[in-house]
Amino acid sequence: MADETKVDKTLDVRGEICPNPDLKTMTALEKMEKGQILEVLVDYPLSLERIPRNAEKRKHKVLKIEKVSGPEHRILIEAKANK
Amino acid sequence: MNPLIFTGIPVGLAFGFALQRGRFCMNSAFRDIIVLKDYDLLKSVGVAILVSMIGFAIMDKTGVISISPVTFWWGANMLGGFIFGIGMVLAGGCASGITYRFGEGMVGAMSAVVGLIFFGLMTSVGVFKPFVDTVRGATTITTADGANLTLANVFGIPHYILALAIAGVVLILWAVFAKKGESTKGEESASLRERIFKRGWGWRSTGVVIGLIGIAAFTASASTGRMYPLSITGGYLSTTKTLIMGQNFMTWLPIMLLSTIVGAFLAALIAGEFKLRAPAPKTLIQCFLGGCLMGFGAECGGGCNITHILSGVPQLSLSSILNGAFIIFGCWAAAWFMFLRPGRA
Repeated sequence: MADETKVDKTLDVRGEICPNPDLKTMTALEKMEKGQILEVLVDYPLSLERIPRNAEKRKHKVLKIEKVSGPEHRILIEAKANK
Repeated sequence: MNPLIFTGIPVGLAFGFALQRGRFCMNSAFRDIIVLKDYDLLKSVGVAILVSMIGFAIMDKTGVISISPVTFWWGANMLGGFIFGIGMVLAGGCASGITYRFGEGMVGAMSAVVGLIFFGLMTSVGVFKPFVDTVRGATTITTADGANLTLANVFGIPHYILALAIAGVVLILWAVFAKKGESTKGEESASLRERIFKRGWGWRSTGVVIGLIGIAAFTASASTGRMYPLSITGGYLSTTKTLIMGQNFMTWLPIMLLSTIVGAFLAALIAGEFKLRAPAPKTLIQCFLGGCLMGFGAECGGGCNITHILSGVPQLSLSSILNGAFIIFGCWAAAWFMFLRPGRA
């Protein structure tokens, strides 16, 4: 299923320090058109917990959170442009 | 050597474990009041302070420990706190944050720890010491009989009464105001083991556990003659001095600290969250510089955020309340400049 989802943009924030994964994700989502899909690759546990939470709070839709290996995860978020 | 210093091992292991599971970092807690508007870690910090405040008050009253605030040197507290606050934003973590992420395998945090040790030693025994001594000396205030200031001795109220009263008022206000919006979202059923070892802890559990570890730390540390609960920076410095100066500085604190890193490592390993990972070279240098500012700030103000906010505020120490406030101001100033300033890169 995962491979069938069309990804419009990929954000690789692996290795990044707090709070860059969160901020880069939110900034990217805000710049995307409604309905576009953002793929986030993240390996920082705090951001993995907070990105979905804060994306939902900002009216984006978290489609999938999937473990790649160890702390590495792939999050798919559908942007819902607020404009 | 007092064998009781090894009580630092279980305390440190538990502390590191709880820091990693709860992602307990005051940099995130304070920074995200203004940056991400995410308040979960802030609530953890609040709960931990409350739990320790109640525990310390009872232990002081029953004679298990005695309240031992850091000296109130307002100039050094304000300067050190502010610089520490700026440093932790650059480093991407407070003293506890970089320590548990060290154990998680984050090289950025390790880089910050190196900076913290480097400038910490320059400040406590090296080139910055005369300056810091002057600032401290010029701005020290104690009670008439030379005791370090706390809210209790300033107002002339017995410590346990004031501490329990503050904790009680906060708990009541919390109960009244926190009700709304606190939806306990449908916790999927997971075994207790899964929730402790595999998942991140919620803010309540994190706060309570860290507060309780603070209480255990105070008791264990006091048994070795060190009358203070948790600290972090001092532990790094003592360890490094032991390695470099050929003299044994290994007391309860450095043993606790080293165990904290091991505890965080084990927690990350069990949860499958351990991995050596590094940011871009530029960020690594930023972390190192942040660590340097934290080292100076901590040794100038008389402690890092753990010494002051987690351990000092529950003792109602005036030094820690002031220093803690300036850590928050420094954090906000740097976070605004780096993340919110209009027209930033």
